[in-house]
Amino acid sequence: MNQPVVVHNLRKTFYDEGRGEIKAVDSVNFECREGEIFGLLGANGAGKTTTLRMLSTILAPTSGSATIMGHDVVRSPEGVRKNLGFYSATTALYPRLTTRETIDFFARINQYPADLVKQRVDYLIDRFGLAKYADARVEKLSSGMKQKVSIARTIAHNPSILIFDEPTVGLDVLNALDVQETISDLRAEGKTIIFSTNIMS
Amino acid sequence: MNLKAIGILYWREIRSALRDRTIVTNSILLPIFLYPLIIWLVYTGLTFVSGQNEGLKSRIMLKDFPPMHETLKREFERDESVVLVTSSDPAADVRTGTLDALVEFVPAQSTPATTNNFTTRITYDESRDASSQARLRVAQKISRYRESYLELQAVKLGISRAQYQNFWIDDRKISSGRGVGALMAVMLPLFFIIMLAVGSMHPAIDSTAGERENSTWETMMTVATSRANILVAKYLYVATMAFTAAFLNLFAMIFSMGTILGPLFGSNLSLRIPLQSAPVVLIGALLLALFVAGGMMILASFARTYKEGQAMTSPFYIALIIPVMFLQTPGLEFTTRIALIPVANVMMMIREAFQGIYHWRPIGITLGVETACVILALRVAMFVIQHEDFILGSYNGSFGKFVKERFFR
Repeated sequence: MNQPVVVHNLRKTFYDEGRGEIKAVDSVNFECREGEIFGLLGANGAGKTTTLRMLSTILAPTSGSATIMGHDVVRSPEGVRKNLGFYSATTALYPRLTTRETIDFFARINQYPADLVKQRVDYLIDRFGLAKYADARVEKLSSGMKQKVSIARTIAHNPSILIFDEPTVGLDVLNALDVQETISDLRAEGKTIIFSTNIMS
Repeated sequence: MNLKAIGILYWREIRSALRDRTIVTNSILLPIFLYPLIIWLVYTGLTFVSGQNEGLKSRIMLKDFPPMHETLKREFERDESVVLVTSSDPAADVRTGTLDALVEFVPAQSTPATTNNFTTRITYDESRDASSQARLRVAQKISRYRESYLELQAVKLGISRAQYQNFWIDDRKISSGRGVGALMAVMLPLFFIIMLAVGSMHPAIDSTAGERENSTWETMMTVATSRANILVAKYLYVATMAFTAAFLNLFAMIFSMGTILGPLFGSNLSLRIPLQSAPVVLIGALLLALFVAGGMMILASFARTYKEGQAMTSPFYIALIIPVMFLQTPGLEFTTRIALIPVANVMMMIREAFQGIYHWRPIGITLGVETACVILALRVAMFVIQHEDFILGSYNGSFGKFVKERFFR
C-alpha cells in the first residue's frame, strides 16, 4: 500500500549570481505513515524548509519525485494542496479579515464541501477557544491568538497531511507547549504530520 | 480556469481592500471628492477675484465731451461703477495709476456729411486690471449708446433698422444639442486616466508587494487552486478598483461641473453627455482599466515592500499620463495613427464620444490595440508568476533584474 507521503531522490539547486549553483537539497528519500509525526531535524541551512516547500508545491524539484496522498507534486499540485495543510513560522494571516472570515476563506478555497463550511468554522472556533475573538480582525489579536488562528486556518479544510515548518520559532514557552499539544492531538486524530525543527535539545 | 475559486479569491481581495484606509481613500473617496473640490475651489477663487474687479469703481476722465450727447454724459454720471474725475495731465495719471481711463471725443475731419461725427479715443494701461476694466466699461457703454442713438435717428427719418443697417450679426448657438462642452471633453478624459492610475496603483501594490510584506504570499501559494486562478482573481480585483475609481470620478465631475460651473458659465456651458456614447465609453474604459491594472500588477509584483511597490509603479503612472497630454493639442483629430497609440487612443475615443462624434474605423483599431495590450499584459503576468524565484521575492524588487536574469544570463 502507498504511504501518504513518499519522497524519492528529491533534489533542489538554486542559482546565485555571486555563488553560482547551490545544492539546497541533495537526494532526499523518506516515507511517512498515516498517523505518524515525521521529524526533520537539522541546523539552519540544512535544507528542511526547501524540502517542505517542494512538498507543498511552492517550489518545483530540480529532480526526483514526491507524492502526497498519491498526488505528484509536479504533475498534480492542486491535488497535493487539497490534501495538505502548510504551516510555517513565516506564513502570516490576512490582517484585515476577521478570525471567522479567515477560517471560512481557507476552508472554501481549499475545497472543503461548501455546505459544511459554516459547521467546520464554528467547530474550529470552538476547538481553539476563539469564540470571543471570532469577529475581531486578525490584526487586533495577540501573538498567541494569531498562532491559534493560524493553526485553525491550516486545518480548515481538514487535510490528511500537515506540514509544520519550525512552528514554535519566536513563541514563548507556554505558546510553544500549546502548539506541541495541538500537534499531538492532530496526530491522535490520524493526521500525518511532518515537523521540522532546528532545536536539537 | 476555476470560476468558483476565482470568485472566492476575488471577494477576499475586495473585502480586505474595503477595510484599508489607503485604498478606500485613493480608489473611492479621492475620485468622488478631490477633483470636484479642486474645481469648486478654483472657480470660487476665480469668481471671488472677478467679483473684486467688478466691485472696483473705474476712475474716468471725459475730455471734450460733445454737447449734443448730454444723455451719454448723464449715463456716465448715473453709473455707480464709474467715478468721473478731472486731471491736468490725464495721460501721465493713467500711466501712474491714479486714473483708470481717459476718454477723448475727437471731432472727425470736417466734411458736409460728417459735421457732427467724432471718434472716441480711450487711453488706458493694459497692464493694469483696473484700467482694462475701465476701458471695457467705457467701450460697452458708448457702443450701446451709439446703437440706440442711430436707431432713434433712423426712426426720426422714417427708416427702419433693416434699411439703415445693411447687415448685422445674428448668433445662433447649436453646440448645446451636441452634448458636452469643449471644456468637459478635454478635462474629463484627463481626469479619467489619472483616476484609473490612482485607483489601480494601491490595490496593485497591496495585492502583490503587500502580500510579500505581510508574509502572506507563501500562505496564498499553498491554497488548493492554480496560480493562474490566483492571478486572475487579483487582476480582476485591481481592474475593478481602477474602473470604480474612474467612473466614480466621472460621475462626480459631471455632477460637480453641472452644479458648480453651470451657474458661472450660464448657457455657454452645455453639460449633457449623449446617452449613445455610453457603450463606447464603457468598453474603452473597461479595456483601459484591464490594461492599466495589468501593467501596475506586473511592476508591483516584484517589490518586496509597499514602498518599493510605489517606486516601481510611479514611472508607469507617469507613462500613462504623457500620451494624454497630447489630447490638449487644439484641433487634434482621432485618426487611425492615433488609434495605434495605447491609452491615448482610448482617451481620444472617449473624448469624441462625449461630443457625440464617432469615427468608427479608428474606434475599431483602438479596441483591437487595447485588447492586444490586455492580452500581452496577462501573458507577461502569467509568465512571471510561474517562476518560483519570483514567488520567493528574488530580483531585489526589480522587474529589470528579472528580465536580465531570465533573458540575458
